[in-house]
Amino acid sequence: MSVPVVGVETDADGGAASIATPTLRALLRRSSFWIIAGAGIIGVAVVAVLVSGGTNVVGRALAGDNPSPAGSMALVEVLRQQGVTVQLADSLAEVRSLAGNNSTVLLYDENGYLIDSQLAELARLATRTVIVAPDFLALQSLAPAVGFGGVSGAKSLVADCALPAANRAEQIIPGGNTLSLPGSGTGCFPSGKDTFSVVQNGSTTLVADPRVFNNENVAGFGNAALALGLLGQSDSVIWYLPTLADLPRTGPPSLAALTPGWVTPVLLLLGVTAIAAAFWRGRRFGPLVAENLPVTVKASETMEGRARLYARSNARLRALDALRIGAVQRLATTVGLGRLAPLEEIIGSVAALTGGAPATVRSVLVEAVPTSDAQLLALSDSLLALERATSRAVAAGAAPETGGVASAIPPALSPTDLETERMDP
Amino acid sequence: MTLSGRFVFLVALGAVPIVLLGNTTSRAFALLLVWLLFALVLGGIDLALAASPRAVTVERMLPARVRLGESVTSELYLSNSGRRRLVGTVRDAWQPSAGAGNNRSPVVLPPGERRLISLVLTPFRRGERRVDQVTVRSRGPLGLWSRQVTLNAPGRIRVLPPFHARKHLPSRITRLKELDGRTSVMVRGPGTEFDSLREYVRGDDVRSIDWRATARRNDVMVRTWRPERDRRVVILLDTGRTAAARVDNEPRLDTAFEAALLLAALASVAGDRVDFLAFDRRVRGRVQGASGAALLSQMVDSMALIDPELIEMDWAAVPGQIRSITSQHALVVLLTSIDAAGASTGLLSVLPQLTKRHTVVVASVLDPVTVEAAATRGDRDALYRAAAAERALLDVARVSAAIRQLGADVVTNSPAQLPPALADRYIALKAAGRL
Repeated sequence: MSVPVVGVETDADGGAASIATPTLRALLRRSSFWIIAGAGIIGVAVVAVLVSGGTNVVGRALAGDNPSPAGSMALVEVLRQQGVTVQLADSLAEVRSLAGNNSTVLLYDENGYLIDSQLAELARLATRTVIVAPDFLALQSLAPAVGFGGVSGAKSLVADCALPAANRAEQIIPGGNTLSLPGSGTGCFPSGKDTFSVVQNGSTTLVADPRVFNNENVAGFGNAALALGLLGQSDSVIWYLPTLADLPRTGPPSLAALTPGWVTPVLLLLGVTAIAAAFWRGRRFGPLVAENLPVTVKASETMEGRARLYARSNARLRALDALRIGAVQRLATTVGLGRLAPLEEIIGSVAALTGGAPATVRSVLVEAVPTSDAQLLALSDSLLALERATSRAVAAGAAPETGGVASAIPPALSPTDLETERMDP
Repeated sequence: MTLSGRFVFLVALGAVPIVLLGNTTSRAFALLLVWLLFALVLGGIDLALAASPRAVTVERMLPARVRLGESVTSELYLSNSGRRRLVGTVRDAWQPSAGAGNNRSPVVLPPGERRLISLVLTPFRRGERRVDQVTVRSRGPLGLWSRQVTLNAPGRIRVLPPFHARKHLPSRITRLKELDGRTSVMVRGPGTEFDSLREYVRGDDVRSIDWRATARRNDVMVRTWRPERDRRVVILLDTGRTAAARVDNEPRLDTAFEAALLLAALASVAGDRVDFLAFDRRVRGRVQGASGAALLSQMVDSMALIDPELIEMDWAAVPGQIRSITSQHALVVLLTSIDAAGASTGLLSVLPQLTKRHTVVVASVLDPVTVEAAATRGDRDALYRAAAAERALLDVARVSAAIRQLGADVVTNSPAQLPPALADRYIALKAAGRL
């Protein structure tokens, strides 16, 4: 068929209005609110971090560059103002390179990174050592005579010793851990028998309570006097807080040490390539086209649904009734009776035509009640057989067949057998 | 903006210098940065040199109509009003059901020139198929980055129902013509009118001999009859929710279209006036007062846009609608579905009003799946299925009997057979003079 009418639809104006994609400038103008709002939010966030960052950042405890309450920046700065060179060290190697012939080392090993030999080397390197909150290993290797004294119960800690720095301090912050010194030695700030907060053991001074040095408490009691007195004796102080770098390396070299230098950049390049490829494949060629799809309903759905309902509720008789009514109507038409013919007449004609007993035909068409699925199937088969036999008989010129239906109906379906049949659960 | 596979390859190629020259980590990182910068600059230059797709203007030429299953060519003219030669790809964004296939075509547009892009459309759904936009992608000279712009270029094409049933038309017209000039008593009736006298030939019914004319002509003359002409046929299509159901992978509505078209073609050949109405709760399509070729083209045109509505048919309004079309006696064909008795009460309640005045035929599709299922009894599931199918058929038979009792005629058949069956019923009614 040729197309009857040719219509022409043109896009005559062809101006800027016919371009759906916005220009970069229009896009920026349209989204200017969001750009400005985003920039504003980022700006406010940056300002807020800068303003509150000084107090909120929780750095390492007693770190010399940490201005938070747990840090020790105040003490370090005061020492520097007094002309003492304070150098911060993160590893024993750094201490080794920094140590002069008259330097004090402050050691605060919060996580217990240092081992025996490292502690011994540290003691050799420094002229004086101040160990804050020594752990068991530190006590073992540097001051074997000193033990742990538990938490101080004294209300106030008074110097009460020969150490000049302690004497000048007079008092330090009460509470905190103590050290026990059962034998002879210099112990200051006692809180009970043989328990002291500060113990001097040769060139090593042990301070049990780290709070003496932190920003929060250094200004209270005589804390500052004790700290400055202990650390200000020499020109240079090495502020040493051990890190992971001090852990001894064991095992085979790591993967990073074995891979060549170009591996990470190439991996990054692959990542960039993957992003570019995603953009290449994922960029849409224009907007999606919408289409209204029609409703699709299969007309046989109701029939299938009814069949499943029959099967689920084992509605054998109801199902058989439908089949029987259909069969009776077809039989009525086959034998030449009207659609509204009485059932008895139909049974009579069918029985006469097929040569079966009217009682058998009646049982198949009306009376037999199936009690199991097998019986239902058998009955449906005999219905079909009856229909076939009838139409054969009609086609053969109404010559009665002998035993046509009687053999088609299984003996299990005679009414007497049905009574004795086991009921299905 | 978009980028090509070539650019991706260029970025990936950076691995070669990094592996060969980057012997230390820092040097490798520097090489990576340099290479990425190089690729970006190259891409940027390419993008800057690409012709602007904004300078392209679009013109579209489309045939207005096409039958479902046939193909048409959509013509898209692109002209380049810019100063650079545009090399790239064009996507003509037709709806998927327009059957455009691959709608991306390569294009080379020198400045100031015009090129034709033709696309063969084979729509696979009836109705109005649309296109709104054309996307142009303009490649740079290196083929790394492209500029992409979507242009508005609306177009639409109306896809008409296929009318497959027209293959039955010639045989039905032949049978209709056989009615003409027949003398058989079978044809004679109140609906036939006197046509002419002709000489008796052997085989003519002797009861048709006109003795007066025989006496005048000295030869045996017979009267011939022809079916009445200028009767009215009203085809009413139910577009309610039951029309959406698919029977044999075809919505009932489409089968009804086929049947309506065949009947209309046949009736207009037979000289009857055909009116068409598609209705559910409001009028979806109406063709009145057309005849001949105009009738069919108007009918397919209005059918093209009709889709089944998921609402219940308002049968109570149907007599009024038919009265508004004709007040004379007419053959009213209701193309609907006959289901369970409960679903057909609306139809049954208005049938007496219609049959009092008109000859009514109710045509409905019978699901061949149901008929087949009723005869299949293998296992337990098949048996229950057969029972359910039998029940459905009995429901249809019951409703059909009720419709016949109310004085209307029923035609049910499978989707492929319904149009010719309805045409046959029309011919039978015409032969019986019941129009």
